[in-house]
Amino acid sequence: MSPRLVSKGQIQAATLSALEEIYCQPEARIIELLKSARANETEPLAMDMLDAILANAELAARDRVPTCQDTGLLVVFAQLGTGICLEEPGLREILGSAAKYAWKELYLRDSLALDPLRGQIPGTQAGPTDNSILPLILHLEQVPGDKLTLHFCLKGGGAENCSALRMFAPTASLAEIGGFIVSTVLEAGGKPCPPVLVGVGIGGDFELCALLAKQALVLPRIAAEQDGALLAWEQELLRQINAKGKGVQGMGGQTTVLDLRILTAPCHIASLPVAVNIECHAHRSTSRVI
Amino acid sequence: MRILKLQLPIPPDVMASLKTGDKILLSGTLYTARDVAHARLCELIRQGQPLPIPFADSALFYCGPSPTPPGKLCGAIGPTTSARMDPYTPLLLEHGLKVMIGKGPRSAEVQVAIRSHGALYLACVGGTSAMLTACVVSRATFLWPELDSEAVYRLVVQYLPCYVALV
Repeated sequence: MSPRLVSKGQIQAATLSALEEIYCQPEARIIELLKSARANETEPLAMDMLDAILANAELAARDRVPTCQDTGLLVVFAQLGTGICLEEPGLREILGSAAKYAWKELYLRDSLALDPLRGQIPGTQAGPTDNSILPLILHLEQVPGDKLTLHFCLKGGGAENCSALRMFAPTASLAEIGGFIVSTVLEAGGKPCPPVLVGVGIGGDFELCALLAKQALVLPRIAAEQDGALLAWEQELLRQINAKGKGVQGMGGQTTVLDLRILTAPCHIASLPVAVNIECHAHRSTSRVI
Repeated sequence: MRILKLQLPIPPDVMASLKTGDKILLSGTLYTARDVAHARLCELIRQGQPLPIPFADSALFYCGPSPTPPGKLCGAIGPTTSARMDPYTPLLLEHGLKVMIGKGPRSAEVQVAIRSHGALYLACVGGTSAMLTACVVSRATFLWPELDSEAVYRLVVQYLPCYVALV
């Protein structure tokens, strides 16, 4: 069977439509979580702030204004079917040029430092030499089938900064691991714009646990994940964090975390890596299937 | 929750009456400043140069706006994490900074400095840019345009919703 060709134009159109959808509105499930947080709130200040967040979501979508002035870095999880053939010059460049166009078209903020050391050591610029391509964070995986699935996320810097990774001993207890997850969120206080989403990766190695934590934020839950034991622990950690009352913007209230999700992977017998990735309530994410 | 409409500069007696958790609908002139602008302002102070921002009459807004689309007054505005400005804040407070707008906690040192200088730290709700941007009356590039979104912009706002976090 000959491979199905996915054109540059198809990927560009998908990228532009995805970014147009998300820069001015959070995922629909986030609105539902925010509404239930508002219904459960008892603190007047937190109620007022949740009302502001919910009113803003409507206003932003109506007037096409970014939900947050930090329009983020672009993170893409791509699932490429084995039956697909892509055009030159490859997925990263196609997505990067489409994103560059979308950034200009939608007046998104250029939040990229091409040189992470900000010129302290001349010549450390890490961006592409072709400035018509926006650098993005791309995770590419091959899957069976003849579809290309793209999960887009505009990830803000404030919440990302509050994330953490720790290499535990393999004998670490659930209480120790849970304590790390809970304290990472609590120590962040109002910095990541709570109420937040928490993605946790457990297992794999140093970089895979961080990737799992990001996947926990961006990829939709799958059926195989319906492991009752893990779900119960997720709920328990969420309860423990919210019980501390940090609340909306860290100024007090019933809901600090809207959702907490854990993904796991096999790891070395010597290791137990754990990563906690934090996402703000503006969570801008959507998917396209080509 | 008290809701107060205040105009910058805030008179000292009004400032003294504010309580944590008060909601303020703030009007007046704001100057945006993020990390790099803070480093540059402190460098000017160290060089003994005059400060270009009139701190006494305005507020410093920790914000990097998004670009302004055609036909609009201003791109999206909103608070960035204040804690990143903590290393610079005590020096700016010594040189007349009175009102800061951002989000999230401040360091112990900054909390002390804010109280000892009779200054005010207001928190805005992050991720409410459409609502905040609707409060902008005018926007002008003020300093260091080469910094793009990190430049200092002069914003005049009316009834910008914020909350007293430290006073």
